[in-house]
Formats: sequence, C-alpha cells, structure tokens
Amino acid sequence: VGLFSLSHLQTKAISLAALVACLLFFSACTATHKTSTENSSAAREIIDDAGRRVSFPAQVDRVISLAPNLTEIVFAIGAGNRLVGRTSYCNYPAEAKAVAEIGDTLHPSLERIISLKPQVVLISTASQLEVFTQQLQSQNIAVFVTDPHDLNGVFRSIEQIGLILNQKEQAEHLVQNLRERANAVEEAVKQKQPVRVFYQVSAEPLYTAGHDAFVTDLMRRAGAISVTADVPGAWPKYSNESALAAKPEAIVLPTGGSMGEGNSTVTEALRRSPAALAGRVYKINDDHLARPGPRAIDGLEAMARAFHPEAFSQ
Amino acid sequence: MIGTAANVVSATARQNRVTLRKTVVSCALLAGALLLSIVLMSLTGSEQLPASASLCALASFGTTPCGLTRDQFDILFQIRLPRILLAAAVGGSLATAGAAYQALLRNPLAEPYLLGISNGAAVGTMIALVFFGANEWTRPLLAFTGALLATLAVYRLARGRAGATPERLILAGVIVTTFLSSVIVFVTTLMDATRIRSFTFWLLGDLSGTSKTLLPVAITIAVAGALVLTLHARSLNLLMLGERDAFDLGVEVRRVRVVVFLVASLLVGSSVAASGSVGYVGLVVPHLARLSLGSDNRISIPAAALGGALFVIVADTVARTIIAPRELPVGAITALIGAPLFIYLLKRT
Repeated sequence: VGLFSLSHLQTKAISLAALVACLLFFSACTATHKTSTENSSAAREIIDDAGRRVSFPAQVDRVISLAPNLTEIVFAIGAGNRLVGRTSYCNYPAEAKAVAEIGDTLHPSLERIISLKPQVVLISTASQLEVFTQQLQSQNIAVFVTDPHDLNGVFRSIEQIGLILNQKEQAEHLVQNLRERANAVEEAVKQKQPVRVFYQVSAEPLYTAGHDAFVTDLMRRAGAISVTADVPGAWPKYSNESALAAKPEAIVLPTGGSMGEGNSTVTEALRRSPAALAGRVYKINDDHLARPGPRAIDGLEAMARAFHPEAFSQ
Repeated sequence: MIGTAANVVSATARQNRVTLRKTVVSCALLAGALLLSIVLMSLTGSEQLPASASLCALASFGTTPCGLTRDQFDILFQIRLPRILLAAAVGGSLATAGAAYQALLRNPLAEPYLLGISNGAAVGTMIALVFFGANEWTRPLLAFTGALLATLAVYRLARGRAGATPERLILAGVIVTTFLSSVIVFVTTLMDATRIRSFTFWLLGDLSGTSKTLLPVAITIAVAGALVLTLHARSLNLLMLGERDAFDLGVEVRRVRVVVFLVASLLVGSSVAASGSVGYVGLVVPHLARLSLGSDNRISIPAAALGGALFVIVADTVARTIIAPRELPVGAITALIGAPLFIYLLKRT
C-alpha cells in the first residue's frame, strides 16, 4: 500500500508540474500574441464589455453570433443577411434557423467557424471562451464581447453591434423604440409599492438571479425588488432557507419558450411562502428574460403586468 | 492493517465478548455524537433561528412550535432537518459501502467514488432523469443498476490470472471512471442547456435538493444496509485472509460476495440518486474507524456507518454556511477535507 500510494502521489505531482508548465507556455504565447495585434493598424476600434480594444475592418460582411440574444440583435437591426453562423440555441427570429449552425454556446466548433470565414465573431461572456478567443484572433477574426448587467447595457450592446455592422441608424432607432417602451412601463408602475420578488432560475438545486444579472435591473424597472438583488454574482446557487426567510410576495418562474416545460413548478422550500400561498407565482417566457436582447422589453412588460395588473387595466 | 491469520482464527469466546463490548461502547459513543451533531447542526444555517426555541421544538419532535414563527418552524423542519437527515443517510451509506468494498476486495484504497461505482450510479440517475423525469422512484432503481454494473465491471477487469492485486483494482477503477465520465458527458448533451449547470453541481455531490420521496428510501437503505453488512462482518474478516482460506474455514465465499456487492451497490445507488457523487467519504471514514478501533469488521463497519453520517453532516453544514446565503456543493468540502486527510493517513501507515 505504502509503495503504491507513493507512486500515486508522484503521478499527481508530475501531472501538476506538467499543468504548470502548460500554463506558463500558454501565457507566454498569449503575451507575444497581444503585442502583435496591438501593432496592426485598424480601420476602427470599439471597446467591448470585457474592456478589450477591438479593431474592425471598414465594412463587415460576414459575422457569426455565439449567443441567441446577439443573433436577435443582428436581425433586429436589419443585418440578418450578413449572419453566416449561429449557435443551436439561436431559434429566433425564424429566419435565423436558415443560418449555418456552429455548435452550441459552450461548445462551438472552431473549425466550422473558421471555415465560414467571418470577419467578426460576437460572443457573450456567459460563454467563457478565453482560449477560444485567442485562437480566433490568431486567424485575424475580430472577437467582440458583450456582457450587459442591466437594460442600459443591453441598449449599449445593440448600439455597438450597430456600429460594427454599419447599421448605426437602425440600431439607434431600435434602442429609441425600446427605451420608449421601457419608460412607459416604468411610468405606469412608478407610484406602486414595489413587490418583493424571488426569481427562480431552477428549482433543484435552487439557483436565482444575483446582483450582476440583467433581470435584476429588469425587475426593478417592472416595479419590483428582487430579494436576491444584493447577492454577489449573476446566477448564484441559493440557500433554500434564506429564500423562504426572505418572504417573497411574488415568485417569477422563467419557463416556456426554448425551455419547454422546464422550471414550471415552485421549489419545494417556497411552496409555503407568502407568494405561493397568495397564488402570486408568475410564469414568464424564459426567452424574454434570459436573453439580453430586444425581446427583453417583452419580458419587462410581462413582469410589470404580472406584478401590477391594476396599473395596466385601462 | 489487515489482521494476521493467527489472531483471527484463534478468536476465542472471550475475545468475541471483548469485541462485542468494544463494538457496543464505540457505537454508543458515535451514536451519541451523531445525535448531538444533528441537534447542533440544526441550529446552524444561513438564517439565524432562536436557539432555545429551536431546541424546544426539536425536543418535541416538531409537535409544538415553542414560539418559533411559522417561517422559522418551516425552515427548521421542512428544510434544514430533512437535509441533515439526508446527509446522515448518504454519509452512512457511502462509508459502509466503502468499508465493505475494502474488506471484500482486500484493498484499503477501494472506494465507491474512486472505483467508478458512484459514476455508474450517476449514469443510472441521469438516464432516469432524462427518460423518466417525473417518476422519482426510477432514480434509485436505475442508480442501483448502474452501481451494480460498474462494480461487476471493475471486479471483472481487476481479476487477472494472478488475482485482483490492489494496483490492478485501482487501474480498473480508473478505466471504469473515465469511461463512465464520458458517458455522463454524452448524456448531458441530451439535456437542455439550462439543466446542464445544475447537473454539474449535482455531480459534485449536492444535498440541497432534498427530495421528500427519496429521503425515507435513503434512510431505510442506509440502516438496513449497515445492519446486513455488520452481520456479514465475521465472514468478511475471514475473507480478508484470502478466498481459499475463508472457504476452508466454512465461509460461503460466493454467497457472501454476491450479498456484499448487492448491498454495497444499493447503498451507493440510493445515496447517489439522492445527492450526486459525494467523494472520499467511503475512503476516509473507514480508514479512521480502523485506525482508531482496529481492523475487525465487526467494529469498523458499524463504526464507519455512524462516523460517515457524522462526517457528511458536518461537511454539509460547512457547505451551506461558509458563503451563505450562497452555497457550495458538499462534495467539494468532503474532497477538500478528505484528500489531505487521506494523504496524512497514508504517510502514517
């Protein structure tokens, strides 16, 4: 046993050393790479949500989206015909389904992406693709990261994608339209007492929307306060007992849409919460709440109508 | 660590009586510690509950609220206590199964998680979730099937012409574990994206989704399994001398092997179905039991059962309070405590 365990430990030590060596090698590669991109002169530069200065060619004809909200934005600003690749989750609008699939957000096919010869790949940080981003940049493909934490961030994403795709006016028009709808909702619920809401992302285990989630801002605008608004992170796993102790007056179940029947029942711990006892459990289309894109305003309107039906009665 | 032939065979009636007394005393002490931990950990959580009122309510077995508000009462009896009881069932099951595997396979490194048996149960549970999602009963059933198949696969792979050497067994475990890990990755592609995240959490071992249907099943299996294996402890003691010697001493080797494999798979299956793969419990707890109480399975198996329950209750309390109101998976805590402790134990022996 002693002998065996020693060799076991040694294997671990060796693999750890190998891992460290790989990391060192890799970081060395990225370091040299960064200097090479900074030297290349660019037609225009936009700073993305990861704080990276990204340069784009003057005219972008081929773009790939790695998240459903980004696909929706590209179509909504009238540049859908320039989308040459999308993820398997990108199911809206219907025309998007005709675009080539490059895998899903977490496992995109690098080969497929490169073979589609895009000039720009749009990603959301939810996809966590740091290594992948470096590989694309080495192919001279611009990678633009969006990471909105509130509705204004969504508007900024739309305007930035408008700039990248030279659809500035359409993007500004879309944002203006969305902003008016959002303002109308906020105006309608302004005088109402905010409802204390628990947002259930999944029941078992219990996940919720934290401080960094853009739906937390959406709930505030819809005349509610998320009871988990101050929890660090975007999608924290949450304590059952803290959820019950927060005594939510309403529960939002993002379900339906691409989610199908998933997440359509309240978690067991909250079955006796004031919200569940009063029947204030609202199922709202997950595609309108989980995708920080143009349809988020549909989600905002649906939540505001659910929380304050009397404000929209006339 | 493993007793020599002489001292087991020459076990006289007096020694048996001494063993019995030692078993009763150590189990009584551990049971007391377990009860104490259930009560103390019930007072600990992300929400602060009034201690004396909670104690009073616990003492009344939930019949009187003792001044707790309805929410506080629900937190204590609907959320916290069921989770603690599940932690006890899972910990007891895994530690008992680990002790049994170690005795039967004559290998101190045998452990459900490291041999891939937990992964087999995880595949079974995931298949139940994907194809029979609504029916919770299918989960422990398919988890048991998966654990049993994985056990048989490891056992067959490990038995070479020279018998099952410890190295062969661990290698077989590595092969089965990695193979089943890829099966798990494959099954996750059949699930919708929103569920994958919660599954990765569950795979690490998570007790937060305590199911009211599976809790009584898990407790019953844990208690019954520990009893059955304790009753086979004498045969296991003799089996540790080698299968031929055990056979010569009157042990029905084949029957004992079948019973132990079935019961251990059932224990792993029910705990994985309820909580995912909580690692290292089956390794650390039986080792501690043997180090402190000796290698006689008649003591170490029941002691491991009680100690495993205690260990996972404490680990889960850390998991649910350390970054409250957020939570960690309990498997991360058991591995964090278990792996270094295991290294320390190996260095000492």
